[in-house]
Amino acid sequence: MLKMTHLSKVYRTEVVETYALRDFNIDVKEGEFVAVTGPSGSGKTTFLTIAGLLETFTGGTYHLDNLDVSNLDDNARSKIRNEKIGFIFQAFNLIPDLNVFDNVEVPLRYRGMKAPERKERIMGALERVGLASRAKHYPAELSGGQQQRVAIARALAGSPRLLLADEPTGNLDTQMARGVMELLEEIHRDGATIVMVTHDPELAARAQRNVHVIDGQVVDLAEDPRFHTAYAAAAGQVRG
Amino acid sequence: MSLPPMIAALRKHKAGVVLIALQIALTLAIVCNAVFIIYARIQNVQRRTGLDETNLFLVTQQWVGAPSGDSPADLEKLDTMLREDLNALGSMPGVESVTPVNSVPLFPSSWNGSESLKPGTDMRAGNARTTFYFGDEQLLKTFGLHLVAGRNFTAADVAHKALRDSSEPNVIIVTKPLADKLFPQGDALGKAIYLDGSNTPSTIVGEVERLQVPSVGSWASSFVWNSTIAPLRMNSNFSRYAVRTKPGRLEAVMRAVPSKLYAVNAMRVLDDDSVKSFKDIRAEAYRADIGMAVLMGVICLILLAVTAAGIVGLTSFWVGQRHRQIGVRRALGARKIDILHYFQMENLMIAGGGALVGIVLAVALNRVLMSKFEMQSMPAYYVLAGLAVVVALGQIAVFVPARRASNVPPVVATRSV
Repeated sequence: MLKMTHLSKVYRTEVVETYALRDFNIDVKEGEFVAVTGPSGSGKTTFLTIAGLLETFTGGTYHLDNLDVSNLDDNARSKIRNEKIGFIFQAFNLIPDLNVFDNVEVPLRYRGMKAPERKERIMGALERVGLASRAKHYPAELSGGQQQRVAIARALAGSPRLLLADEPTGNLDTQMARGVMELLEEIHRDGATIVMVTHDPELAARAQRNVHVIDGQVVDLAEDPRFHTAYAAAAGQVRG
Repeated sequence: MSLPPMIAALRKHKAGVVLIALQIALTLAIVCNAVFIIYARIQNVQRRTGLDETNLFLVTQQWVGAPSGDSPADLEKLDTMLREDLNALGSMPGVESVTPVNSVPLFPSSWNGSESLKPGTDMRAGNARTTFYFGDEQLLKTFGLHLVAGRNFTAADVAHKALRDSSEPNVIIVTKPLADKLFPQGDALGKAIYLDGSNTPSTIVGEVERLQVPSVGSWASSFVWNSTIAPLRMNSNFSRYAVRTKPGRLEAVMRAVPSKLYAVNAMRVLDDDSVKSFKDIRAEAYRADIGMAVLMGVICLILLAVTAAGIVGLTSFWVGQRHRQIGVRRALGARKIDILHYFQMENLMIAGGGALVGIVLAVALNRVLMSKFEMQSMPAYYVLAGLAVVVALGQIAVFVPARRASNVPPVVATRSV
């Protein structure tokens, strides 16, 4: 489903080159629920933006759903984002001027879907996240957990091949976070492929598989001493 | 792209939307009416007077120590002096013809009155308002007028009289529009009419195609083509001559006129303004109109520029405000062109709404101007053109900020700030 080989991402200025990802390799199979973990600045969000075609990469190859996406133009990348990928952001990223229904509708409109099908999908997605009755509410009228559920409904409505979640519970309290996580697990059980970036070990533990990123590389935890230091520090922060 | 969510989003920004739509509405209303006024002025300025303007100039002079003209002997003396000037001017090389006149079209001096089909009619109750031109049998040739019916004056028709003498001429020539106004059946020739409430009839012996009245003011617009030519030399201590030159000789003849007249009689005043080409007379007559048209044109351009700047400013503000939202839309699959179209469509709705209000305001403003300033009714195509202009202006103004919006990268959606 998602395969990156020797992938690198370099940010260049006039005086310095910074590797955000270096020789990055990952292979996510269809139907997997993978948590990508790592300390702040390790490159996990950069991985997510590249995986979601939000950014280009500098070297290596990336196949998404068996399609080499290395040299696609902006329009083709937009089309793949719209049709194959569902995003769940830490900050929900709902459009405040639109109500719940219209928010969920946004990606479907860009797909050029007919109104009856759009409506059916939107209501189906909202029912799945338990917010069908809030379709006419605006984001500001919802709790954080509800807003994230709307964001999940928006991601699900287009029936994407891959769900990318960036710290999906990062802005939620424990109870709401639990609810959102249970929803993601339910979606996964229904067959979705999910890649979730998080620095929360508890959350990561609920995924099928964990991939650990340190200094822009996927590392084998048993062999890399950097992980033990960084992971312990991150876990300490979470507990504190 | 669909309108209902866009309208819903705009409703969240009512103040900005209403202000910019109102600005567009006012711009449309003002620009439409201003352009209509400008066009009307340009039409006025460009209309033909009926004269051979290229080769015509006017001489105005005053004798020093001339008799008053109150006695018959003085009157004869004044007329002799006038005829001496005419002979001198007529004999100059390059002169085609010359005539004594009281005025010419566009000149800031006119003799206006009315004409009636019945004797002794009050001037205000006459059948038509008119301007009187006085001249001799050379007037038609000198002015370059086109006689369409009847005959020109003969030397025998031409009389002379003092300025204050109220006697009326036996024969007159009128413009065709005036003849048709007095006699709609088209049979004016040979008919007697009464000038300025007189009891003495004057017979129409000829019709000229076109001769504009001197005044360019709006008060004269109702009778701008109603001119009457009387075969009279007006005797006074000043005189005015219209001179038509052969093609290409105008400036040379004009330069030679003062010395020629001083040679006839040195006791006269000829200043820098005394010899004036018709080109200069036209320029002076319409200076205010042209100035007003230019001023209104500049105001229109400023207004359009301010409106465009308002649209650019508001859209730029919205682009900044919705920076993250644009990134989210891009992340969810919007192409750059979708974002560009979003802002263009949003602007089209605001400009369209403003333009609809502007159409109502434009028509209302026109009605007010019609009632207060004798303005004509503005044709519908002015409003439609104005609508097209403000909508196009909106699209042009929104393009740069909309394009900037379309370049917001989708990765913005993942940034926490």
